[in-house]
Amino acid sequence: MKNNEYDVIIVGGGITGAGTARDCAMRGLRVLLVERYDIATGATGRNHGLLHSGARYAVTDQESANECIRENMILRRIASHCVDETDGFFITLPEDDLNYQTKFFESCLSAGIHAEIMDPKEALRMEPSINPDIIGAVKVPDGSVDPFRLCAANMLDAKLHGAQVLLYSEVTGFIKDGDRIVGIKTFNHQTHKTGEYYANITVNAAGIWGHHIAELAGVNIDMVPAKGALLIFAHRVNGIVINRCRKPSNADILVPGDTVCIIGTTSTKIPFDKCDTVTVTPDEVNLLIEEGAKLAPALASTRILRAFAGVRPLVAADSNDSRNISRGIVCLDHEKREGLKGFISITGGKLTTYRLMAEMATDLVCEKLSVNKPCETANAPLPGSDGKSFREVAQKIWDNPTTGQKAAAGRLGTGVTNIPAASSLDQSLICECEQVSVGEINSAIERWDVNGLRDLRRRTRVGMGPCQGELCSCRAAGLLAKAHGCTDRARADLQRFMTERWKGMYPIGWGDALREAEYTQWIYKHVLGV
Amino acid sequence: MRFDTVIIGGGLAGLTAGISLQEAGRKVAIVSAGQNAMHFFSGNFEDAGPVRDRVAALFAAAGVRTNATDGLQLMAMGKFKNVSLTLEDVTVFPDEHIAEKVLLVNFAGYHDFFGTFIAETLENLGISCRIRFVRLAEMESLRTSPSEMRSVNIARMMDEYWEKVVTDIRVLHKDEDLILLPQVFGLKDAAVLDKIRKALPARVAFVGTMPPSVPGIRTQMLLKHRFEVLGGTFLMGDEVTSAALHEGIISSITTRNLDTVRLFADHFIIATGGFFSKGLVSTPTQVYEPLIGLDMDYSEDRNAWYNEEFFESQPYMNFGVKTDAELHPFKDGEPIRNMYAIGSILGNTRKEDFGTAAGLAIRTAFAAADAIKGGNV
Amino acid sequence: MKPQEHTASAHNFEECMKCTICTAYCPVVPVNPRYPGPKQAGPDGERLRLKDPYFFNQALKYCLNCKRCEVVCPSGVNVADIIQSARIKYGKEQPKLRDWMLANTDFMGHLARPFAPIVNGVTGLGVTKTVLDATLAIDKHRTFPKYSYKSFEGWLKRRSKEQAKFEKQVAYYHGCYVNYNNPQLGRDFVKVMNALGYGVQLLDHEKCCGVALIANGMSQKATKNAVHNVKALQKAVDAGLKVLTTSSTCTMTIREEYPGLLQVDNSGVRDSILLATRFIWQLLESGQAQLKFKKDYHARIAYHIPCHLEKLGWGIFSTELLKMIPGVEFTLLDSNCCGISGTYGFKKENYEASQAIGKPLFDQIKSVNPDFVACDCETCKWQLEMSTDYAVKHPITILAEALEY
Repeated sequence: MKNNEYDVIIVGGGITGAGTARDCAMRGLRVLLVERYDIATGATGRNHGLLHSGARYAVTDQESANECIRENMILRRIASHCVDETDGFFITLPEDDLNYQTKFFESCLSAGIHAEIMDPKEALRMEPSINPDIIGAVKVPDGSVDPFRLCAANMLDAKLHGAQVLLYSEVTGFIKDGDRIVGIKTFNHQTHKTGEYYANITVNAAGIWGHHIAELAGVNIDMVPAKGALLIFAHRVNGIVINRCRKPSNADILVPGDTVCIIGTTSTKIPFDKCDTVTVTPDEVNLLIEEGAKLAPALASTRILRAFAGVRPLVAADSNDSRNISRGIVCLDHEKREGLKGFISITGGKLTTYRLMAEMATDLVCEKLSVNKPCETANAPLPGSDGKSFREVAQKIWDNPTTGQKAAAGRLGTGVTNIPAASSLDQSLICECEQVSVGEINSAIERWDVNGLRDLRRRTRVGMGPCQGELCSCRAAGLLAKAHGCTDRARADLQRFMTERWKGMYPIGWGDALREAEYTQWIYKHVLGV
Repeated sequence: MRFDTVIIGGGLAGLTAGISLQEAGRKVAIVSAGQNAMHFFSGNFEDAGPVRDRVAALFAAAGVRTNATDGLQLMAMGKFKNVSLTLEDVTVFPDEHIAEKVLLVNFAGYHDFFGTFIAETLENLGISCRIRFVRLAEMESLRTSPSEMRSVNIARMMDEYWEKVVTDIRVLHKDEDLILLPQVFGLKDAAVLDKIRKALPARVAFVGTMPPSVPGIRTQMLLKHRFEVLGGTFLMGDEVTSAALHEGIISSITTRNLDTVRLFADHFIIATGGFFSKGLVSTPTQVYEPLIGLDMDYSEDRNAWYNEEFFESQPYMNFGVKTDAELHPFKDGEPIRNMYAIGSILGNTRKEDFGTAAGLAIRTAFAAADAIKGGNV
Repeated sequence: MKPQEHTASAHNFEECMKCTICTAYCPVVPVNPRYPGPKQAGPDGERLRLKDPYFFNQALKYCLNCKRCEVVCPSGVNVADIIQSARIKYGKEQPKLRDWMLANTDFMGHLARPFAPIVNGVTGLGVTKTVLDATLAIDKHRTFPKYSYKSFEGWLKRRSKEQAKFEKQVAYYHGCYVNYNNPQLGRDFVKVMNALGYGVQLLDHEKCCGVALIANGMSQKATKNAVHNVKALQKAVDAGLKVLTTSSTCTMTIREEYPGLLQVDNSGVRDSILLATRFIWQLLESGQAQLKFKKDYHARIAYHIPCHLEKLGWGIFSTELLKMIPGVEFTLLDSNCCGISGTYGFKKENYEASQAIGKPLFDQIKSVNPDFVACDCETCKWQLEMSTDYAVKHPITILAEALEY
């Protein structure tokens, strides 16, 4: 067996790819995952971070709703350090139809979602940021999930089970043997080298970019790119998820996530060639603020940190395919569908149901490889999760944890013990907003395939706070330069990073965001001389 | 309370104008809403050009020494920048070949000084550069707090322990002809810089760090001290809430702290800074000057405020209050004849006449002070 | 209001630009590395605490509440208020007996005053100091403020008829210090006001402003005092009186901390509570009254501005008044916290930090070598008199001494 031969190759380093790699590796397969950039750079890292209870789909799609609630409960167990069990409210405003609430409530119950109709006053007491004009509120087991953390933990566990991960490696073509895909050709964006890798099965888990991957393989998935824009506010306005109790529409979900909260989304169809360069327009920003303020009036006067957009991988109805078991999740066996052997696509779905998607894809892979091992991902906790809150984790390790240690325990769960902390030098803070220490950054560089500042941000929250990298990015660039032994690369990386931060700031570039931007520009231009 | 001139804003522009007027025997009050951009000063008076000697003299009287030399400044991330006037902390090099061999010394665990970047620039120029770290026992207590290895905290210790650092560097030094150190010396008194230069066996140059800027803070303190010694009144931490404007003349201003005790003056200077300092305020729909509602020079189309590339010059930085040739700002199309707008509140609106950044601050400060001393209104 | 025309957050914590200026000027940071500094304890910490109260850090108790962070902040963030509010909201520690004693200035004063000669004798004894140090952790280096045998309130009540004869009247919020420790300052105040043609009356029973209660984690009691005081002040204000004070800290507490920290509405009285120096300066400046000074008065005075007076922004009234006195050679000392910060410096664990904070000020006073130091704050006075060889006088006392008659 050559070192470029595997049982299965997974294309895509989002949550679906990472979850599938983990599942395949846990079933004993030799796995290679290739991702053209970094983990969670597509839709995985560009959404609310809502751990759906399924309530949102209860009225329109009972099956999806039921999938959500089952997976929701599983993730609370296996990914405790990625999940914040906040609960959620579906609120009815005076302009909404209160009859919808009844229908909504009944649909939740029939989908197996534990919903509870609340006295609006009680709901306001529990979550004071809610619009005080509400006429109805239903409590559901929504939550908040950190997609970067979840993706990284799946990737790490896949590697711990023997999987190989190639980041910054784009699939440029497939190697075919007659009617069978037997391998992939890649181009590495950092080394600029090409590669060839072989496997019996290739799983296309590339999200919206899966459309293009399928084309390269010679088959067609009829995907519809739908852009969704979101805004990040600088602190947690709400502690409980707030949804609007009406048919899903624009800007009707406000999710608290780590130190911030996120309002979204919009939904606009866009052409495929715009998927890599989505930007947020002023109209979208205005709409998000106006609609968001109806959920929580404080949003009208809360500092906004950034605007961002993602592209949902929606699939047009594929009625010919019996494998299309759910309108949410789409798992395509291209052998049955088009006669192309060795190629599977897994797409659609939600962040919340990624594990189920991975299980479905892996079941199909195993069936084709005649491997008879059951899926264990629903029971085996991810690295860092032991079902306990970050308080309990921190309290167990340290007698009197520092603020930085508490924050790190929140990010890494029990994995926080991997951070070197022997010396006071390691505890020094690089990112003061999010409390990220030298030790945590060095450990991320070592353990989590960090190529640059943007990768580091996804794994540690460096640069995600109110200063948007003004203070911490130079310090972190210094550590990266040391780790990679190249300051030219680190300097270029720093420039890219600040440009990326700015891309999310200028759509909301007024008030405090503009003050921060002016200050940052001053420092970089006049003080540091970048 | 009555003054000859009231200056709103106590940064580089406001203090320079204030000192210049106090030196001429005028009674001046400065109202300063907190500290200011001097705390992020690189030490380089960009665009000072025509007022170079005047700045040097005014600062020297305040105990701030400057270098009025054309040359290059080695920046914090290893690039070179042209300078013609700098604080004494900045070593001015005639060209990029700053030495044959360099010893770069940093403090262990200090991440706000970018030695590796500087070293690589120098190596690319054929200058060998050795990086070494010093770790003083006295500094260990700083590390108890994970956010205290910062410029000011180190500088405060160095005022006391600089000799120990010198001792360590003498051990580290081999045959280098230049020693590079972070700008974390001389928070209270720049004399430490000279002492270090004298005590080390090679030339010494200090290179900038992440803010706060130690030379900037010292300069701010010395300028404020000078202003007060000259008899000036410095109202720190107060904010102007309104101005009495009638027929193009401001008679008094009201502040948050003094409320009913208004400040009357013959002349007013507005030196409240740019966006960071809240001299200019932006909302989703407009940019305005918040104290008086001065007329603005800016684009109403928010799409035209930004350049997508972070490191390109940003259109919003050009925005500022409108002024006439004498720096009188306008209100509703009419100039305010006894008020002058100076410094960053002008954005780049007067770039051709007064330059940008620190140069803009001091050149407009002198222009306003001269006009007031000339007695025109 | 259109959305996002302005942003608002509790004590403006979101306007923080992370510039770190507050930390550069914090007097505690250089001397106590266990304190995370105002930026981290304040706006940075607030975001984390809003995520989860578990992020509350006990080290916030090291904040002096000197407000210097707020004075220097270029963004208008009420940093100290954020920190003190967090202590009130999240702090769980019960105050120790020692803190309780130090905080309850009026209760202690009330108890001690009748026995003043004994108490002063006992607290002045080396052996007592050692016992206090060991049992209550009140640092043995400290000289306990002397308690006066006769309270100021009693003194003024006995003169109420004579004061009522003045056509123009002011009310006086004297504070615990004047009442129990330094009634002479109150008498000086009455002397100056009488010279200006004003009679002085007491409020209808004032209570301690509560500043020491807040600092020692007893905000509920402080709130009770605040509610009581606002009522008493309102009565005076309704009677058309201005309420004058001689303590800059009490004034700052009543004007700023009542609404800002304790959520006690003082809007009906706030503008009528004035430091005596401000009121007097305005009278003299506007020509409504004159003071006659001794012809042979001469004093070299170095003025120290207390932190809370700097926060109020009213130091200028004290300095302008002192400069008006003929024969005064005036030096303005650089603004620097003296380190005592009310009860903070009395605690054994803070003693060293307290002295280190004040050192630059002590050094400057020595180099200026004045006849005495002027300062509007009673606790600064204790600290400076203990730490230097110079007497410290309140500007009102200096005025009284310089008056001719």
